[in-house]
Amino acid sequence: MSERPIPNLDDPDTGGHWAAAKRGEVALRVCTDCDTVLHLPKAYCHACGGWSTEWRAMAPTGTLYSYTVTERELRPGFEPPYTVVVVELDDAPEARLFGCLEGRPELTIGMPMRARFDPVDDEVTLIQWDPVSA
Amino acid sequence: MGEFSHRDRCAVVGIGNTEFSTNSGRSVLSLATEASTKAIADAGLQPQDIDGIIRCDFDVVTQSDLANSLGLPDLRYWSAHGPGGSAPCSMMASAVGAVMSGQANNVLVFRSMNGRSGFRLGKGRNQNDTGPIGGNGSYEEFFVPYGSVSPGQVWAMLAQRHMHDYGTTQAQLGRIATTVREAANNNPNAQLGHKSLTLEDYLDGPMISSPLRLYDYCLETDGACAVVVSSAERAKDTANRPVLISGVAMGSVRGVQGGMAAPTMLRPDPMRFPSTAVAKTLYERAGMGPSDIDVAQFYDCFTITILVQFEDYGFCAVGEGGPFAESGAIAKGGSLPINTAGGNLSEGYIHGMSHIVEGVRQLRGESTSQVPGAETCLVTSGLPIITSAMILRGE
Repeated sequence: MSERPIPNLDDPDTGGHWAAAKRGEVALRVCTDCDTVLHLPKAYCHACGGWSTEWRAMAPTGTLYSYTVTERELRPGFEPPYTVVVVELDDAPEARLFGCLEGRPELTIGMPMRARFDPVDDEVTLIQWDPVSA
Repeated sequence: MGEFSHRDRCAVVGIGNTEFSTNSGRSVLSLATEASTKAIADAGLQPQDIDGIIRCDFDVVTQSDLANSLGLPDLRYWSAHGPGGSAPCSMMASAVGAVMSGQANNVLVFRSMNGRSGFRLGKGRNQNDTGPIGGNGSYEEFFVPYGSVSPGQVWAMLAQRHMHDYGTTQAQLGRIATTVREAANNNPNAQLGHKSLTLEDYLDGPMISSPLRLYDYCLETDGACAVVVSSAERAKDTANRPVLISGVAMGSVRGVQGGMAAPTMLRPDPMRFPSTAVAKTLYERAGMGPSDIDVAQFYDCFTITILVQFEDYGFCAVGEGGPFAESGAIAKGGSLPINTAGGNLSEGYIHGMSHIVEGVRQLRGESTSQVPGAETCLVTSGLPIITSAMILRGE
């Protein structure tokens, strides 16, 4: 199987997310002045005009916003069928994170999901999301 | 309405396009040049009359490339619009702005691509990138490592959500595919013009990214389209029936997100598209409403893209796009015939630029699926990132 693409870990706006993932945290960038969640991550808070932010760990739980089962090879490394999921975080419903599951799992929009920390190598940990069975 | 109005002050005076194929065997510059020379000739102008060029940010042909190819002596105005398929009507907005502010007299608007034999957009913009993905404001690191690489997957998830929220069905999407194909069957330049498509064919089509099947997807095309925009005053001197730009608009949403298509899934409500804002602005600028539109050319990278625009442009209520699709309204003889040359789905994918060409043909009475007596045409460009649209009116 070809190698899957890995994220750029060094971007000044987004790198903290991947550093936190390596620690086993689902972290979002939050304005320390007004607590606005700034996701996708950025340094400036549009809500209060502040530039003071931190990476704040969120509960590793959420609900399934939507998903698609991809049946064609679009990029080497992702063998079809595979499923892309979009998860709304319980702690920050205004933020959503993507994940990738093998095959065609049984999914329903609105179902609970839980984060799984998936180390790709010594540097990179991806956050994946599994359905929580009732 | 702002202090100034552009309503009916500018016109599309010339249109041109190449053959649409899967392998042109020609450079993108040659395709752009052929479409441009045809549009200039159609306007009754000479290349030296063109003093403005508007391009799409995804085009490999720059304004200098095309000015050089056409031998333009005095290019004075240019701009680039995008991303990608959102561009065509916003390019027209730029042309209108250039003409009305006196910065150019005859503005060439074009899109040219070897979209099948060259760079295939369907596999994503960064398909050839190696090494770590994302950064530099692209935000691709949050999507591509999770297998979300293509616009089709984003629209699939939006379709999945529309089905969940409103009960929209695959058969309703299929009615859009078959309706657009019927129009293409009359168009000798449509890539799939020679192939019929029944609802059974549609439902038998292989799943690509659920719930979207093969015929929910647009084509990949080598080809080019170009139009010339001049003042309504100048349009009176051309050989063709003038086609006025009654209104043109660009629009966005709150919390728009950066990057390309996938980040739009992280908006406060991903199902609220910028078309809603564009529709409001556009109808106000044109002094019209949905009931004034005789025919529409909706941007159609996917069937679901058309379905949500039925709602956003006010032809049905929010959530009613599915029932509207199968109501008969969009078919030949219906209240809102759509994509009468076959659109991105069945004519060819020139990133929305062919929709403008077909809109003009309708108002000249020259479409291969002519709507009798059509006087107004809505033309829209790509979503969900940002979008643009215009209303054309036959004089």
